[in-house]
Amino acid sequence: MAHTEHTPVVRALYLDDDVVLDAVKNLRGKGIKVKEVYSPFPIHGLDKAMGLKETRIAMAAFMYGLIGLTVAILITSYMMNIDWPQNIGGKPSMTWGMNMPAFVPIMFELTVFFAAHLMVWTFMIINKLYPGAAPQNPDPRTTDHHFMIEVAAGEGVVDALKETGAIEIAEA
Amino acid sequence: MATDKVYWKGFDQLANSEVSQRMAQNEFATEIPMEQFLGDDKLMGNAQTSRRDFLKYLGFSTAAATLAACESPIVESIPYVVKPDSLTPGMPTYYASAYTDGQDFASVLVKTREGRPIKIEPGDEGRFNRGTNGRAQASVLSLYDSARLRQPVKAGVETDWSTIEGDLKEAVAASVTSGKQFVLVTGSVFSPSFKSLIASLRQNYNNFNHVEIDAVSSSEVLDVWEALTGARALPTVDFAGADLVVSFGEDFLNGSTAQQMSKAFADRRKPGQGMLRHIQVESNLSLSGANADKRIKIKPSEVGSALAYVYNKVSGSNLTVGALSAAVQSAMDTVSKELVAAKGRSIVMVGGNSGANAHLAAAVNAALGNLGTTLRVDQPIFIRSGNDRSLANTMADMKAGSVGTMVLVGANPAYVRPGFAEAMAKVDYSLSLTDRLDETASLCGAAAPVPHYLESWADFMPISTELAVSQPTIRPLFNSKPAIEVLGSLVGETKSAKDWVKATVAAKGLSWSQTLHDGGATVSASSSASASEAATRAMAGASEAAKTATKMQGGDFELALYQKTVGAGNQSNNPWLHELPDPISRAAWDNYITVSAKDALALGIVNETQSDGALNGSLVTLKAGDYTLENVPALIQPGQAQGTFGLAVGYGRTSAGRVADGLGVNAYALNLPQGSGVVSITVQEGEHEFASTQLGNTMMGRKIVNEVTLADYMADQSGQSWNEKPTFHTMDGTVSANDANLWTNHDHETMHMWNMSIDLNSCTGCGACVIACHLENNVPVVGKQEIRNFRDMHWLRIDRYYSSDMSKDRADEENLGGIDMYAAMEVPGESPDVVFQPVMCQHCNHAPCETVCPVGATVHSREGLNHMAYNRCIGTRYCANNCPYKVRRFNWFNYQKNERFTSVNPAQDDYGRMVLNPDVTVRSRGVMEKCTMCIQRIQYGKLEAKKAGEPLADGAFTTACAQACDTGAITFGDVNTAGSRVQVAKNDARSYHLLEEVGTQPSVFYQTKVRNRA
Amino acid sequence: MHYESNVREPLILGDKSYKDITVDVARPVETAAPKAWWIVFSISLVMFLWGVGCIMYTIGTGIGVWGLNKTVGWAWDITNFVWWVGIGHAGTLISAVLLLFRQKWRMAINRSAEAMTIFSVIQAGLFPLIHMGRIWMAYWVFPFPNQYGSLWVNFNSPLLWDVFAISTYLTVSTVFWYTGLIPDFAMIRDRAINPVQKHIYRILSFGWGGKAKAWQRFEEVSLVLAGLATPLVLSVHTIVSMDFATSIIPGWHTTIFPPYFVAGAIFSGFAMVQTLLLIVRKIFKMEDYITIQHIEMMNIVIMVTGSIVGVAYITELFIAWYSGVEYEQYAFLNRATGPYWWAYWSMMTCNVFSPQFMWFKKLRTNLIFTFLISIVVNIGMWFERFVIIVTSLHRDYLPSSWSMFSPTFVDIGIFIGTIGFFFVLFLLYARTFPVIAQAELKTILKSSGESQKKHHDPHGAH
Repeated sequence: MAHTEHTPVVRALYLDDDVVLDAVKNLRGKGIKVKEVYSPFPIHGLDKAMGLKETRIAMAAFMYGLIGLTVAILITSYMMNIDWPQNIGGKPSMTWGMNMPAFVPIMFELTVFFAAHLMVWTFMIINKLYPGAAPQNPDPRTTDHHFMIEVAAGEGVVDALKETGAIEIAEA
Repeated sequence: MATDKVYWKGFDQLANSEVSQRMAQNEFATEIPMEQFLGDDKLMGNAQTSRRDFLKYLGFSTAAATLAACESPIVESIPYVVKPDSLTPGMPTYYASAYTDGQDFASVLVKTREGRPIKIEPGDEGRFNRGTNGRAQASVLSLYDSARLRQPVKAGVETDWSTIEGDLKEAVAASVTSGKQFVLVTGSVFSPSFKSLIASLRQNYNNFNHVEIDAVSSSEVLDVWEALTGARALPTVDFAGADLVVSFGEDFLNGSTAQQMSKAFADRRKPGQGMLRHIQVESNLSLSGANADKRIKIKPSEVGSALAYVYNKVSGSNLTVGALSAAVQSAMDTVSKELVAAKGRSIVMVGGNSGANAHLAAAVNAALGNLGTTLRVDQPIFIRSGNDRSLANTMADMKAGSVGTMVLVGANPAYVRPGFAEAMAKVDYSLSLTDRLDETASLCGAAAPVPHYLESWADFMPISTELAVSQPTIRPLFNSKPAIEVLGSLVGETKSAKDWVKATVAAKGLSWSQTLHDGGATVSASSSASASEAATRAMAGASEAAKTATKMQGGDFELALYQKTVGAGNQSNNPWLHELPDPISRAAWDNYITVSAKDALALGIVNETQSDGALNGSLVTLKAGDYTLENVPALIQPGQAQGTFGLAVGYGRTSAGRVADGLGVNAYALNLPQGSGVVSITVQEGEHEFASTQLGNTMMGRKIVNEVTLADYMADQSGQSWNEKPTFHTMDGTVSANDANLWTNHDHETMHMWNMSIDLNSCTGCGACVIACHLENNVPVVGKQEIRNFRDMHWLRIDRYYSSDMSKDRADEENLGGIDMYAAMEVPGESPDVVFQPVMCQHCNHAPCETVCPVGATVHSREGLNHMAYNRCIGTRYCANNCPYKVRRFNWFNYQKNERFTSVNPAQDDYGRMVLNPDVTVRSRGVMEKCTMCIQRIQYGKLEAKKAGEPLADGAFTTACAQACDTGAITFGDVNTAGSRVQVAKNDARSYHLLEEVGTQPSVFYQTKVRNRA
Repeated sequence: MHYESNVREPLILGDKSYKDITVDVARPVETAAPKAWWIVFSISLVMFLWGVGCIMYTIGTGIGVWGLNKTVGWAWDITNFVWWVGIGHAGTLISAVLLLFRQKWRMAINRSAEAMTIFSVIQAGLFPLIHMGRIWMAYWVFPFPNQYGSLWVNFNSPLLWDVFAISTYLTVSTVFWYTGLIPDFAMIRDRAINPVQKHIYRILSFGWGGKAKAWQRFEEVSLVLAGLATPLVLSVHTIVSMDFATSIIPGWHTTIFPPYFVAGAIFSGFAMVQTLLLIVRKIFKMEDYITIQHIEMMNIVIMVTGSIVGVAYITELFIAWYSGVEYEQYAFLNRATGPYWWAYWSMMTCNVFSPQFMWFKKLRTNLIFTFLISIVVNIGMWFERFVIIVTSLHRDYLPSSWSMFSPTFVDIGIFIGTIGFFFVLFLLYARTFPVIAQAELKTILKSSGESQKKHHDPHGAH
């Protein structure tokens, strides 16, 4: 929890996702910046409420897919038609274009392969997820049935949190 | 951080004794004399071990360790310090020679590599009986048979030649004094040298007696011809002048001169005007019968009467004719008509060993004026000369104990003649000069090895017009000695076998080197026999013969013996011959009685297919007179005459070697010297497991073997009506299979394009090509169980199809549904037409096998060949599944090592391994293999042409199968070479591709079979 | 916040809170295994080891120890391969397709379904390997640079398409599965008392903390992966079917194969999921999450796909007759009436007739009956592959090469071995992994939880 070292924060625990959602709206209304919300499951609408940007990971996946497709085209054409074109069952190996129908499955599979794997890698990296990483949630209960809002410490923050129905507030 | 702690080294230090002080000063209690030692040069100088020594020791021990570490294998090979000019390593050397195994004779070329014979190939054009049947091809493996006798043996213990020869001399001397006989038992002797040796033996010993035995006897037939022509020899059949051949049970395409016969036969069977017509009258479905235009079923006992009946018809005389079934009688009427129509241009042959039948046949030929035209007595054939009468006498003498010495040369009477073994007991001294400790040799007091024909000198006179010479092609493998030298010593003759041959050649006034080079020479026919005299004698004796024939009484069941690829049994220990499935029944590794379906039903004989497709059959016991044969498997055989059985000889060996021993039953034990006789049969308990390679016996109404009658062929030479090609309706109209194509084709017009044509009209189905392929390409032998599992490894197989009584047209007439129709189609007819079709890799230009290989282990060459890269193959077997011709063979096991195959696969035998063709890889376990169109030969041929600096001539080389084929049914060559034989064949109206509609565009094509019938 | 109408059956029964879900899901992981588990596990282990022995024997001696011959080059090996791949499909379909269609009922079962996918694809992957004559050269199917220079694989070969399809499928479904597992691992990690266990789950959970942004990306990734997995799963069996469809063997050379194989795959896959869930549900007392409704839904899918397969069979027969190609006609005639008629008719009975019972609600909500049908369907689908492969090969173009096939003890042993292997993996999974996607499930607790539904006014609408 290195990021909590320098700037002190206030953490409030809640028991219900709807309450959390309202709390976030409420706090942001009061101009209190919600640093982070930890929840055991995705709360729909929370990202909007927190004002998080849309993720662009889908676009990344699309790009990765294109890379895969390119790789497929390159290896098939190089191996079958450029490096050593052979007469295999009379199939036209003279040009890639003529031979292409036989390579469609490969092209499809490699597209999916690259898109899926590279995207998941990206997901892991940008979320700093890796085997043995230290748990990112300050309180173990937030993977079970508790929800936590993390705001920067400041005047009236605690009261504000109290109002939103926090069951437990801790400063760190 | 500094600290002032003091660590005591001991109590002394506390006491600060001087000892401790001294110790503090110099830590070493006593000084080591380093300086003193190394400094003192003198001391170093006369030290025992100098630095140099040390290095020596070091070096030595290292070297020693290294040597000790790796034990180098001992390779016993002698380099050619002076290279023999006849021999270039890597290049084959050919020797013209003559093959004989005591049953067959053939003029052959022996291919040797680095001094090892590895292949038998057909002899030069014009030599008598040139060409190679299965046995001739396989004979090279018999040379490397580790079951051969390696040392002279006396009373079961190894000894040396001097003892053997010494004993022989004594024994002969003893029998001279005791007035007992000195008997020499041989097979048919047609070697001039050996004949002259026998002559001089006869001069030297008045108690000498020579007996000739043929395993399958023709004694009575020979007697007949002796009576007719004066020469104890068979006449030559000349198809050239014949339009019609009627064979009464004579399997001439599988006989002693089959190579000669089938070639001549095929030449006269070319479709067109005056094509030879062939009628076969027989009980067993023989190879000849399978190739006949018309086949008439008959019981062996009826043959005599039938011949007499025909004689009456053609000559207008009235001999007494025995009982004939109505069917046979009417058939004989038509046969007679046809014969009369072809007077002088017909041949009547008769099989078996019945004098009466032989005489009647001769009479019929005489009556038709065939003697001297199509049946030539002026060129007698000497290959058979066995005499059963003299054998009978000798056996009587033996029993009487009046035989003192008996020497057997390449004869095995104890196996082929019941009662001989018992008779031998009373012989004082018996010596067998043999290639193995066979049934007879093992009973003899002494046995000594004779060389294989590829190891020794010999001369032969197979026909009155030719002297053939066989020469050694390898140094004798074992301590053997030619019989002619052993016996020669008895008459004080010290000539070597080579000198004997030389002498004979010289005596004939021939050039030694030329004769040797050609493997023989033509000599002036010395036969004085006149055809006309023979004819008159034949017709004169006809009535007498007819009477004998009528006496021949039949029975409910008659047995006719026949020969499979194994032949009479001389080469029974040769796995290649067993591995080849029988051309007709397609069952390998066995003999069995062939039964007609009706009889089987009546007798309760069953053949049933197991869940794995293997065939099981009942066992029966046969009784012929007082001779019994038990545990005989019974196989239901379409085309078998009702009330008759067939049984192949040459099996049931007990002392031939690990391959042959205990395989099948010994048909000779039934003692049927005439080749057929009445038997009684009882079905016994138990089942027999057949190794049958073909489960589907009919063509199921598909165009696989295309067939047309001569009439239709003549009517439409273009082939439109009888050789219709499949067409496809595409957007560019109706196109042929080759043009119905998704892709732009690869170029196959430039450079070579290897194609093969197989003429189904010439193919007799003999199977010589299969064995040739087998040894040319190092195909493993897999044995009975694997064949039974449909895992035969043959690259080339000969499919045999029977015609079925059900056809699509008939189904339409009787409006049968598909289910019933196909069910009926699976059943072969009772007297079916038989067709043979050699199938090997078709080298498709749109090969289904190539596309599916994930690793590209099988790809197409520019020359139209379907290549198989064994090293790249990972063995998914997808290619084999996707092959519509099912010609790909998978290495299920490591046949070179796996102990299941030790007893059968020559590649696991130290001697057998020598037969492997060094030009062809031995495939490893788990890879796919198949016909390569003998690519090693193609490459060799191309290189030869390149060296000669001229374009590759058509027919400069050919594949092993094409080469082995006597009838020239297989044509191989470059279809891009203008006017090449294969190109001509391709454009023939008869040519078609197998399964053309599948669109594989094969490089192999077939020529429609034409049957000479209306 | 939306609530669904009371007309819909609740997907989570009983009075559950988020806590309860956590506890229920974590229970199998945190408590000792029940006796039933040990019994089933040890049986599977024995089967597995027997299979290993048979595989060793095959590799040591040669493919000859199987019942194959020159005509029938594939039999049980590829039959099992296709069968296992088919089974695998349901998992991906349930999690991917149903996710795309926002079918909430999937959530209780998708985890196990995906696990099943992966484990059965592992079984499937075994066969292409061990059926090779030279398995030690198996790596040659990958296009890697080599010392021979220009020696590459053959991209024209359906078998190579398989290599790419299967490996893509296996790896992608694995990451799909694992990504979904991460939050649940985190949950177990945070509950774990035993330090060793805590450490292991700490490694497995990749330090997941359930941050808002992480959840946002998480949902996006699951969605995209689902979007990729859906065409992937369809492509895999399509390509497997091309092993046959692109060949020239009558009975294989059939353009209907791709859809027909996919339908068959879903069919057999759902049947297998059914079999497994009924066991899991019983052993781990998950009746509240895997409800009768789930079972019924899947039975309906089985019924529908079964009927599709049936239509495919009949289409094949029709086309064979309509084509006028005698080889084709004979191939199908031979299937139904030839030596292997029994295989064909058991296929028909199991796959086409037996699912029709599911038209009756009484039957499709009866657990015992459902369980039996699910087994029957799997048997039927095995026979389908056997019929396609063996009866097409054993009598193709040239009658001279016709033969038969019968398995040896090795063929059978290897098949049994893979079943054992599959259950070994699945049972281990069931003991150590959260068998239900609890994080996902919690999201629908309010909308589809039984008690929660009750609390809202009967008119439901909001």
